[in-house]
Amino acid sequence: MSTREKARKPALTRIRHSPAGVALLFLAPGLLFLLVLRVAPAISAVASSLFHYSLLHDTTSFVGLDNYRTLFADSDFHHAVLVTLVFNVVINPVQIAISLALAVLLNQKLAGVRFWRALVFLPIAVPPAVSAVIWDVAFQPNGLINAFLRVIGVPAQPFLTSSDQALWSIMILCSWIGVGYWMMFLISGLQDVPASLQEAAQLDGANGWQRFWRVTFPMLRRPLAFVLVADTVSNFLVFAPVQILTNGGPENATNLVMFDIYRRAFTLGNMNLAQAEVVLLMLVTLVVVAVQFRLLRSKE
Amino acid sequence: MAAESTPRTRRRIGRRTLGTVVAAVIGIAFAFPLLWVLTSSLRPGNDIFSYLSPLSIGSFLPIDPDGSSYVALVHSDFGRAIINSVVVSAITVVFGLLFSAMAAFGLSAVKFRGQGILFGVVVLSFLIPFDAISIPLADLFRTVHLQNTYLGLILPGIGNGLAIFLMRQFFLAVPGEIVEAARVDGLGWWGVFTRIYLPLSKPILVGAGMTLFLFQWQAYMWPLLIGTEPSKQLAPIALANMRGQFTVDFGQVFAGSLVLTVIPLVLILIFQRHYTQSLASTGSKD
Amino acid sequence: MSQSGLSRRRLLGLGAALPAAGALAACGGGGDGTTTIQFVAPEDPKNLEPVIRGFERANPGVRVKYTPVPFDRVNDVLQARLGAKDTEIDVFAVDPPRVSALAARKFLRDLSGYREQVRRDVLPGQDAPSYFRGRLWTMPIWSSTQFLYYNVDLLRKAGIEPPSSDPAARWTWERTVAAARKAQKAGAQYGLLFDQTDRYYQLQVLPASLGGGSGVSPHDELTPEITNPAWVKAMRWYHDLFADGLAPRGVSPDQMNVIFSSGHAAFFVGGPWDVGVFSAVTKLRWGLAPHPYFAGGRPVTPTDSWGWGVNPYGANADAGLRFVRYAALTKAGSLQTIATNPIIPANAAAFPTYRRELDRQGGDASAGAGALMDHELRHTAIHRPRTIGYIQFEDIMNKAFADIRNGAEPAARLRSASSALVSAWGQLR
Repeated sequence: MSTREKARKPALTRIRHSPAGVALLFLAPGLLFLLVLRVAPAISAVASSLFHYSLLHDTTSFVGLDNYRTLFADSDFHHAVLVTLVFNVVINPVQIAISLALAVLLNQKLAGVRFWRALVFLPIAVPPAVSAVIWDVAFQPNGLINAFLRVIGVPAQPFLTSSDQALWSIMILCSWIGVGYWMMFLISGLQDVPASLQEAAQLDGANGWQRFWRVTFPMLRRPLAFVLVADTVSNFLVFAPVQILTNGGPENATNLVMFDIYRRAFTLGNMNLAQAEVVLLMLVTLVVVAVQFRLLRSKE
Repeated sequence: MAAESTPRTRRRIGRRTLGTVVAAVIGIAFAFPLLWVLTSSLRPGNDIFSYLSPLSIGSFLPIDPDGSSYVALVHSDFGRAIINSVVVSAITVVFGLLFSAMAAFGLSAVKFRGQGILFGVVVLSFLIPFDAISIPLADLFRTVHLQNTYLGLILPGIGNGLAIFLMRQFFLAVPGEIVEAARVDGLGWWGVFTRIYLPLSKPILVGAGMTLFLFQWQAYMWPLLIGTEPSKQLAPIALANMRGQFTVDFGQVFAGSLVLTVIPLVLILIFQRHYTQSLASTGSKD
Repeated sequence: MSQSGLSRRRLLGLGAALPAAGALAACGGGGDGTTTIQFVAPEDPKNLEPVIRGFERANPGVRVKYTPVPFDRVNDVLQARLGAKDTEIDVFAVDPPRVSALAARKFLRDLSGYREQVRRDVLPGQDAPSYFRGRLWTMPIWSSTQFLYYNVDLLRKAGIEPPSSDPAARWTWERTVAAARKAQKAGAQYGLLFDQTDRYYQLQVLPASLGGGSGVSPHDELTPEITNPAWVKAMRWYHDLFADGLAPRGVSPDQMNVIFSSGHAAFFVGGPWDVGVFSAVTKLRWGLAPHPYFAGGRPVTPTDSWGWGVNPYGANADAGLRFVRYAALTKAGSLQTIATNPIIPANAAAFPTYRRELDRQGGDASAGAGALMDHELRHTAIHRPRTIGYIQFEDIMNKAFADIRNGAEPAARLRSASSALVSAWGQLR
């Protein structure tokens, strides 16, 4: 419209009709909630990471980056970072691959497929404390998994009581909980792929595997981006199974950074140091997520 | 189209049967541990762990079902806690879906400068571990007198960056031509949102709804931090309170957790009807 | 009207709801003149109902509102809420070794005005953990001790003469382990179980029995002493218990008493509350004996249980203090706290009643339990160390115990726990 017509309309109407204005109005409530309920307390948490509280003297003082220096010098923290990196490097690709495979399988028109999907999804609905008891019992030296292993002739494994196997055991537990959940989102994504494109490819002579990679997978990019990022974030922030099952052990083998943070914050009561560790964790996660976004975008 | 040849149809049926068998086996494998929980909940508390070794069929199938754990649940505060959890979760889902969908719309349907930054804020918000901010947030809620209120329980669940991110990804796939056509026809942006985007996104609304729901369904530390009293208390805490100091009645704990698990299960079964939605008819994608 | 106006209206609606919600929020006092005390503890509400009713009857116009918090989070939640000067807590349960840290952070109201009464009305020595820097901060409500339970049938199958409940005939750990091994050879699945496996409360007495001290230096509450020979020997003994299969690895403490009550273990170290638990299991034939000690060392037993403290910022702290005094210092109140809760009352006047009940509860099996309990509380009970760094201490020690249980070399593991303590306590200065 002409400048004169624009000028005649009241400001509010102008906002309503400008793209940015409309978008902001839609964004306003959600964004407000995020800012108040997540971002503002996070800023306060970052601020508190710059202070130190002395229990002996009952005083709080500003210490700048001292807490960060303490963390970088702490070998327990180094170890926690290592454990977290190993955990994530393995579990993220594995979970995505399994979720994708399950999604492809359970997206087909099979008998009772909605029920099978629900069963695979079920573990995420189980209260975390009970998931932990289930796997505690499963992993016990005299427990269910070793009983099955005995049947097929494999000697009993120590699982959670061994510093070599504990982290992998936690990975199995987390995967049991999570893959069905992520699978659901990928199924939504698969549903969006038009059948016509699949048929066209089939008529062109492509087999199932080629059809998947050439037709389906590119269309899955956006839902996959969501699942990849969300799963990665959720795995970087895992700590509840550790808290209930291993308490970070044996010998810090399962001392994931988020669990270390929880311990420092709540059990040991050193909020300032814990918040510094949170900031570091968030920075690392942010970098990983940014890399993932970049990787998925460059394929466009 | 050419008529199907019989061997190909047979192959297809064979593949379908195999697929169904594989799906069933996988489904049962995932649900298997819960079978143990179910059987244990039908057993007196002390006996549960005696059935672990040696492993027998009795570990997984209730031989002498004893429903006393469930009866005890009915007589406890657990029922009220479940109602609280359902109400809090439902309200969170309704408002959370609405605000998240609107925000996702604002981040995808319209292009404007600074959109990337706002999207970055959304991503940042779900990178923030809730446990790290729960104490400063609880202090804030206490200051505005939201401790021990239903609103105090609901609000943190509505600010869910993951739901916004999820829906934005799917909204990006809505074809621009439809929107342009509707706008040319005079449809306002709210109309585009409610008449075009939302109906096309039913599966993802289910997914985002489930995300919002599960956040509240599993809320544990937060209700404790804001001092929720027993009559407003949520189910996971009521479940944890069943663990006595000296002994744990695992039968009752398992019975309670099965009840807690079944409710989201039923919901996902019901809402999966919307999963057969697809954009196949529209054809083009950007 | 444009549709986007709807979104603004919703926002305004929500904004209006906030103050209204604030008005509906619970506050400390009732509008009708009643005072409501807010009480937080990890206890089953059923168990606190008698004392709450009793107090309310004796104090018309005052109500007690009890909120249970799960046991695994209670310390964390209290720390967070008290640290924020939450006015919605008046009375809360305190784990005795944490008194120092809580008092140092000013989470507890000074109760020193009642020291004489506490000394007079509470079992001798039970008030010691409530003090910090010479002032009284909590009142003890309950106490504890530990017995050695045994499975009559498993011992008989192995031809072992069961220990008597006479403290003069106390077994050594060495003798207990030998008997446990014999019972295992004769068919018992496990030989010797600890109720609170991997926890300092239970294991403190092992090095203490050998003269190794509590683990905290008696000269400086923030210096560890866990690498002396007595500690190493005690931890090696603990390590071997699991390495030799006398007790299981990988099983959580929750399940230990269940393993004993389902008849799979020869010996079990547990508290007096287990008398009631085991009596209810009809198939189990059991007995009890004094808690063992190391040969050449001295007999020591764990003790203490929850005390109650008052939040100095509580909206109704004064009324809360009356409630605490009722439960701790009056015979009626104290008996009401154990009416449905089989635990030792810290109140001296209520103790004989509990002692009689304990003897009676298990029939023949628990005969002599009362006298044994009395003896242990008087002569062998040791408190956990008093230090403002107790929470860090317990956390680091429990992890060390768990690793040693899982096979870590004791001397090395204790050394690394010691440096972890030095660094954690350094943060407190």
